[in-house]
Amino acid sequence: MKAIKCGLIILFFTLLQNVHGQQRRQGYTMAERVQQLTDMTNKRAVLRFNANKFRDFVKSSPRNYSVVIMFTAMAPQRQCQVCRHASDEFTIVANSFRYSQSYSNKLFFAVVDFDEGSDVFQMLRLNTAPVFIHFPPKGKPKNADTMDIQRIGFAAETIAKWIVERTDIQIRVFRPPNYSGTFALVILFGIVAAFLYLRRNNLEFLYNKTMWGMGSLFFCFAMTSGQMWNHIRGPPFIHKNQNGQIAYIHGSSQGQFVFETYIVMVLNAAIVLGMILLTEAARGKGDPKKRKIFAVVGLLLLSIFFSLLLSVFRTKTQGYPYSFLFK
Amino acid sequence: MVQAGSKKSPISKINSKAGISSLIIFVVLLLAWIAGFASRLFAVIRFESIIHEFDPWFNYRATAYMVKHGFYNFLNWFDERAWYPLGRIVGGTVYPGLMLTSGSIHYILHLLHINVHIRDICVFLAPVFSGLTAISTYFLTKELWSAGAGLFAACFIAIVPGYISRSVAGSYDNEGIAIFALQFTYFLWIKSVKTGSVFWAVAASLSYFYMVSAWGGYVFIINLIPLHVFVLLLMGRYSNRLFTSYTTFYILGLIFSMQIPLVGFQPIRTSEHMAAAGVFALMFAVGILRYLQNMMTKSEFKSLVIFGGLASAGVVFLAVVILTYAGYVAPWSGRFYSLWDTGYAKIHIPIIASVSEHQPTTWFSFFFDLHVLVATFPAGLWYVIKNINDERVFVVLYALSAVYFAGVMVRLMLTLTPVVCILSGIAFSGLLELFLREDDVYHNEDSEEEEHSTPSKRLYDKLPKEAKSKLKSGKSVGNVKTPTPQVVGRVQKMKHEQSKESDGIGPNIRSVVTVVILLLLMLFAVHCTWVTSNAYSSPSIVLASYGSDGSRQILDDFREAYFWLSQNTDDDARVMSCFSNSCCIRVGLRLSNSRNGRNRTTLVDNNTWNNSHIALVGKAMSSNETAAYEIMTALDVDYVLVIFGGVIGYSGDDINKFLWMVRIAEGEHPKDIRESDYFTEHGEFRVDSEGSPTLLNCLMYKLSYYRFGELKLDYRTPAGFDRTRNAVIGNKDFQLTYLEEAYTTEHWLVRVYRVKKPDEFNRPRIPVANRVVKSPSFVSKKSTKRKKGFHKE
Repeated sequence: MKAIKCGLIILFFTLLQNVHGQQRRQGYTMAERVQQLTDMTNKRAVLRFNANKFRDFVKSSPRNYSVVIMFTAMAPQRQCQVCRHASDEFTIVANSFRYSQSYSNKLFFAVVDFDEGSDVFQMLRLNTAPVFIHFPPKGKPKNADTMDIQRIGFAAETIAKWIVERTDIQIRVFRPPNYSGTFALVILFGIVAAFLYLRRNNLEFLYNKTMWGMGSLFFCFAMTSGQMWNHIRGPPFIHKNQNGQIAYIHGSSQGQFVFETYIVMVLNAAIVLGMILLTEAARGKGDPKKRKIFAVVGLLLLSIFFSLLLSVFRTKTQGYPYSFLFK
Repeated sequence: MVQAGSKKSPISKINSKAGISSLIIFVVLLLAWIAGFASRLFAVIRFESIIHEFDPWFNYRATAYMVKHGFYNFLNWFDERAWYPLGRIVGGTVYPGLMLTSGSIHYILHLLHINVHIRDICVFLAPVFSGLTAISTYFLTKELWSAGAGLFAACFIAIVPGYISRSVAGSYDNEGIAIFALQFTYFLWIKSVKTGSVFWAVAASLSYFYMVSAWGGYVFIINLIPLHVFVLLLMGRYSNRLFTSYTTFYILGLIFSMQIPLVGFQPIRTSEHMAAAGVFALMFAVGILRYLQNMMTKSEFKSLVIFGGLASAGVVFLAVVILTYAGYVAPWSGRFYSLWDTGYAKIHIPIIASVSEHQPTTWFSFFFDLHVLVATFPAGLWYVIKNINDERVFVVLYALSAVYFAGVMVRLMLTLTPVVCILSGIAFSGLLELFLREDDVYHNEDSEEEEHSTPSKRLYDKLPKEAKSKLKSGKSVGNVKTPTPQVVGRVQKMKHEQSKESDGIGPNIRSVVTVVILLLLMLFAVHCTWVTSNAYSSPSIVLASYGSDGSRQILDDFREAYFWLSQNTDDDARVMSCFSNSCCIRVGLRLSNSRNGRNRTTLVDNNTWNNSHIALVGKAMSSNETAAYEIMTALDVDYVLVIFGGVIGYSGDDINKFLWMVRIAEGEHPKDIRESDYFTEHGEFRVDSEGSPTLLNCLMYKLSYYRFGELKLDYRTPAGFDRTRNAVIGNKDFQLTYLEEAYTTEHWLVRVYRVKKPDEFNRPRIPVANRVVKSPSFVSKKSTKRKKGFHKE
């Protein structure tokens, strides 16, 4: 994860709140606390803790429940974009748990915002956000109780997996269906339908073979140049090495850069164009001069771009012996 | 792009010309067959006639069993050695077409008293079938376009690497015969669409039956053909021919496909097959509407179409949804689902994502497998779309869907290859037909040139000649139904004009173009040979390395190890080896057995369906020795085999694939195995002293690097330097408690360890608290008198 850029450096002079002055509410028994937490959870799946509540429900013992807390800084002036994403994912997990079969009062989800509970941050020596910490029923959080978002990220599924590891409570993440995609699709269909309806008297363009041909060719070029690979793997656009040199072509046969695929796409398209020009020139009518030019252009396109393609291919294959026109 | 020559020449001429052209067709196809067969033999000539990988080996074993015991016993065969310890009911879990094919060839040859060992039939089955594929591709292309294009396509598919990769000699796998079945089914389907005769439709469904019995890829057919029909309906190309052929094909194909034990009731119960049923229903709806149209007024008909259409669409949709929820119709299975939602497998099914065949395809692999064809087939597609008709819609859909699937999974390049060959054949033949047409001067030049070239080249150069002669002969190769009057008009005009001003482009340009095209095709031929020889012909048990001077060195460590195993272990010894994502070790030990006739049970073979089982082995490999020993005793393992490439720098070894094992193990045993433990704090996977302690102590690490710390490879590097990962290993001095090294091959590529029996090792010290004296609660019921015991008579 490249995330957590908004590592909040917490200033170590926090306002000594009236915590110490305030009377410690020792009063709650465990049953009461569980009851309170359950009540609160019924209202909203992710509880908001400030310093007091944190002390009451998390720091106090004995407990028979786990608490998973997200430490975050959601206030706009903190400018933590990641926190927002993390909070969304966290809420998804909490809601999934709240409305699932396995819902119990063994696990609670809570959030501590830096602006509400900065002394909690201080107490736990946190200086970044967001951080996910699991507080087990017994003992203090260990190393593994802090989720390693640098490495595994904070998608709802990974959070759920991490919770299973820590607490043995299985949460099946149920994402609220994302309607934006469906919505866009519906709108698209609507537009297309409306367009067709408006032009219902003149649907000739649907029978336009050139348009369909172009579309299919473009699709073929996109696929054969590995756009699907780009979509799944997400490679960088180009590669810059330490010396500042830019590599456009990935050195090994296992990988590719986005720019490289565009090059290949253009090369393929040029070759096809060459083929088509050649054929048209040979079969066409019209004045011979034009056809000659067409034929020569087509031939050049075909041979030059194919040899370029071959030489790009050659740079990626060790020991490939063949080339055409250029090395 | 000539599609229908006019029949003008006198009959007597036709006879001789048709004779010549069919002779040429025959010769070209024969040469294509021979070239295709010959180029698949690299592995057999270089090494020996063996079956290559794990899957083919299993198929071979099943075939041998079937030949020996008969078909019915084969269907009931319970193979206790596969998928140990579960065993495998072979009859119900394989596609039997492959075994039946080679079994019947064997039977026929023996009837003729040609005594061929079944192994040789299995080894050479795929190359032989590649010739049949070429022929059926020829027929398909001929139906779609012209005979000249068909010959091009046949020659392309005979040697194209994308198909050779799955059909070299010794790769005895379903794909080898399935591509033939696929092409042949498509040919028959096109034929039946064109003629509308029940005969061709029945033939198509029979061929489909063969395909179903041969390969799981039949799903592609049963979705593509309905898609074709559906698109034809959308285009308003409904006809009675279409109705007859599709309904016949669907019903018969459905019944036939259900005869295969592995398929069973799937065709009516899974989502993959629902599209075909839906189109079947739609076909009837359209047919009824057509019928009603004659009897109603226009406005009545219009409202009927709208309301009836909406209502029935709603009913069908609801029915499918309800049936899916009720469990009568299974939803899409994971493998198919991952084709649509491309991120699906990565998240949900690590075992599928881990298989290297299921990765998406880079442009490099496209070019590697198809070379010039990948760049030219869009031109063919262009002309097909420009001159569309009923059956060409099919090839367009085929191309578009196949190119999408090939982009998603490397493995499906195989389905793309035939259509690419067809379309490139169309493009090239269209080009050469026009450029070679002029007069005999260039023709002779070409044929002179040919005679100096290699056989595989000669094959190509035959084509222009053929195309030409076909034109001359004026044989009608076009369609029964010529698409539109415009096209015909254009063609005629062109011929006419062509004869009048034949030097419109000029002979120089024509010859240059011809030479360039021939050069391209030559490059294609040498590329195919090079790729076949270098990439697809290693039996994956033999590694070849190339020295700086280009010489080939063969590292025969795998066979060395297998030979050792077959000589030194018991017949029923169980060897645990890691499953492999690519193809290396899932070969398992079976390999050696194809020669030695002895069996070893491999614990995990390519059973990607049984996840928990693989996870258990993965867990054993990724736990420490003690925990692994428990698993290994539970699984009753005698030997463990690891692949280690640190000495020679072989990157496909087990340590590099180790994370997949961990991931799969974690999926099933999340409490014991955690992927994060195998990374350093910075999230790196390192084997040197900074690597995570869990990794440095797990079984896989220990087995790979046992005694490696003492080994100094050369003067520049310190002892224990791993060449694959360029690091000095972190855990050098350790002893194995529960296993002992049994054998390590010359280049350390394969290391075999024996699992010790409980009485063989010094058991580690048990903490005092855990020591349990055997329960004193047991009191012998024997009285002192009877303690002596006696022998009853």
